[in-house]
Amino acid sequence: MTAPPRVAVTGFGVVTAWGWGVDAFRDGLLSGETAIGPFGRIDSAEHATHVAAQVPDPPPGLRGRFRAQRWDRLSLSDRFALAAAAEALDAAGLAPGFGGRRAGVFFASSTGGMIESEDYYRRLRGLDEGPAALRLLASQQVSGPCEAVARAFGVTGPTETVSSACASGALALSDAWTAVRSGEVDVALAGGADSLCRTTYGGFNSLRSVDPAPCRPFRKGRAGLSLGEGGAVLVLEPLEAALERGARPRAILAGAGASGDAHHMTAPDPAGRGAARAIGEALDAAGLDRAAIAFVNAHGTGTPLNDAAEWQALRAVFGAEAGRVPLTSTKASIGHLLGAAGAVEAVATLLALEQAAVPPTPGAGEVDPEAPVRLVAGGPLALDAPRAALSINLGFGGCNGAVAFVRCDDGGGDAAEPQVAAAAARARR
Amino acid sequence: MSGDAPVVTGWGSVGSCGHEVRAIEAALDAGAPVLREVDRSAGFHRADGARTAAIPNPISAAPWIAPMAARRMSPPSRYATIAARQALASAGYRAGEGPDPEFAVAIATTFGPASFTQRLLDQSFDEGPGAISPMLFTECVANAAPAQIAIGTGAAGPNHAVSAREAGALTALGRAVRLLREGRARRAFAGNAEEVTPLLHALLDRFDALARGTARPFGAGRDGFHAAEGATVLLLETAAAARDRGAEPRARVVAVGGGFDPTASPVGWGEGAATLAAELRRTLDRAGVALDGIDLVVSGASGSVGGDRLEAGLLRAVWGDRPLPPVVAPKAVTGEYGGPFLGAALAALKGRLPGPAPGALWELDPDLGIELAHGRTLARPPRRALVTSVASGGAAAWAVLDAP
Repeated sequence: MTAPPRVAVTGFGVVTAWGWGVDAFRDGLLSGETAIGPFGRIDSAEHATHVAAQVPDPPPGLRGRFRAQRWDRLSLSDRFALAAAAEALDAAGLAPGFGGRRAGVFFASSTGGMIESEDYYRRLRGLDEGPAALRLLASQQVSGPCEAVARAFGVTGPTETVSSACASGALALSDAWTAVRSGEVDVALAGGADSLCRTTYGGFNSLRSVDPAPCRPFRKGRAGLSLGEGGAVLVLEPLEAALERGARPRAILAGAGASGDAHHMTAPDPAGRGAARAIGEALDAAGLDRAAIAFVNAHGTGTPLNDAAEWQALRAVFGAEAGRVPLTSTKASIGHLLGAAGAVEAVATLLALEQAAVPPTPGAGEVDPEAPVRLVAGGPLALDAPRAALSINLGFGGCNGAVAFVRCDDGGGDAAEPQVAAAAARARR
Repeated sequence: MSGDAPVVTGWGSVGSCGHEVRAIEAALDAGAPVLREVDRSAGFHRADGARTAAIPNPISAAPWIAPMAARRMSPPSRYATIAARQALASAGYRAGEGPDPEFAVAIATTFGPASFTQRLLDQSFDEGPGAISPMLFTECVANAAPAQIAIGTGAAGPNHAVSAREAGALTALGRAVRLLREGRARRAFAGNAEEVTPLLHALLDRFDALARGTARPFGAGRDGFHAAEGATVLLLETAAAARDRGAEPRARVVAVGGGFDPTASPVGWGEGAATLAAELRRTLDRAGVALDGIDLVVSGASGSVGGDRLEAGLLRAVWGDRPLPPVVAPKAVTGEYGGPFLGAALAALKGRLPGPAPGALWELDPDLGIELAHGRTLARPPRRALVTSVASGGAAAWAVLDAP
């Protein structure tokens, strides 16, 4: 019985409130600023809060690139997914059809085409002008973005959409990871996409879970989350196969973990037991010692209960070191992307590993002494040859997911890593 | 190989056919769906549109769920939790104290808790967003049903809500099987949960998806399927876990897989039968399943015009010049989305094919080249069944079940 292949990330793409593409995302994260602010995707006048992280208008070239997909008829989530997938495949050097490789799509979404469905329903009820056109419902299902990607890029292998709330993205990565390891697919597109909509904006406000100001994860006096929108796609393939075709591995997706709290629909297990199991499983699957983790990209929503439970989970996993592991929360920069959060935050984690610089968590105020994480704040934290990092996502209903990435160009890790690094360097030349 | 495959040891279901396995098997024997008039009073329906759906009679959750918890649940959550508890009971499985981290959940939904979402939007639109009930929102999420199953049963392993439209139930089964195979769980619930609200029914009808009369899978002049509300949940265990507690398998899941037809439009089925056939053959090859060993096909054909055409093309492309084994299409009885399709597959594996003979109900479409075995008595119960579903939008999923 041969060991399963190691899974390389050979490309990624992202769309966030910082803009369309990885460069805008990287720059935004490292700036230490927040993209959360007043927004116009929905009318928030009657809501209790009025800030979110909205994706700006797309660059003009995108509409032309996706003419065959009838860009103007796609849901926002579909557009985010397609743009991210195109960037990811370009970066990976893969064309639609995948050169005969068997590809699958493993995607995450919480709301799919919900905002378009809301528009339809308002028209159907006569609340807004205009015809209640069925095309508004064409991508209503949460599986819409996954299918849009598969359709646009000629995927013929398995497709699967996970809609396990805010853990969806991490679970989709986990599913893609196992599909590549088992040989079920040669290439996996793993990602997620979600857009802002009235249902989630009003819903989280009804729970009093939204901070009226940009969210402040792990800070004392934090008052809730901030919503965002966007999408991300990562290209996964067996490391050796990637090197063979001359691709440049950006990192190794080394392990994934998943668990359920079986505790409560909205409140996390205050002891963080389920989350700790998911994190521990990801580390064990990766064969990583806790000390190898250079930093953690936390779920870090900014709600009092979630951050406290996540701290307890980190304590359970890292013990006395929990407060010494650098930790950042992407959500303070781009908001909470719900189903897409795990994929987008995985990209943030990869970028930080590559750059050896952890982006700061925007916001001010002291760290909550009840959740005394080592929050990266003020500016990027430079790391000395980081080897591995964790990205964590925890969702409604007690769904938990975690993924562990290992940098593959530093020679760190087991005995095979230097060969990988050398091959990767050759591929770059 | 088959001896190590994950096994099904129990199942439960809530639906229009009834709320017990026996009732569903009886409905399959009768071969006709149990349909009810849909409330059209909101005015969303077309005047000449479909009028019925497979909607369950009210069910008391009392034997299965604490009253307070049941009151807070959306219909799909309630159905799914009841079905999961039925599955445990039918498998003779008694959960231990506290959460079980080796017990996973994978439940499919296409539309999620539709009535709660609509009520939330109505509150927001009519009274302002400040009127939104937080209780509604917490049950609006697509993963409400699998999360409630976990909370209600202590299944604290990986928790997946999956969505693949008409291929959802088989996709959830596939996810559960993979989790068991990978050693990430020893037990898993797998199934589907759905709600058919009047609004959803009206919208499906506007897409010309619904049958005006009786759905006629593979039938000439077929015009759509029956939308079904309910939930079906299977209890799966690793072979070792089932053996350790002396459980009797009802089926072994020897292969799961899926494919995608990129020729499909976002709202319909494509023409990619050959593409999907290549993917299905690949699944069978990887699992070492020979076509000759498959002696029953449980097809997801539902009466859909394009879906049945693609499904027929897929089966004919896989078998090529060889004769197809007997084919049944239980969605004629169970309906689409929330119906007990997986349960019907288990029943068929026992030799319980839907009845009566199709000629008594509808003429088959000669262009599709599929003969239905409804109402037939097989010489011996099937040993191995292929179960398939092709979905609008492009997804497809399949599984191979062996008799124990």
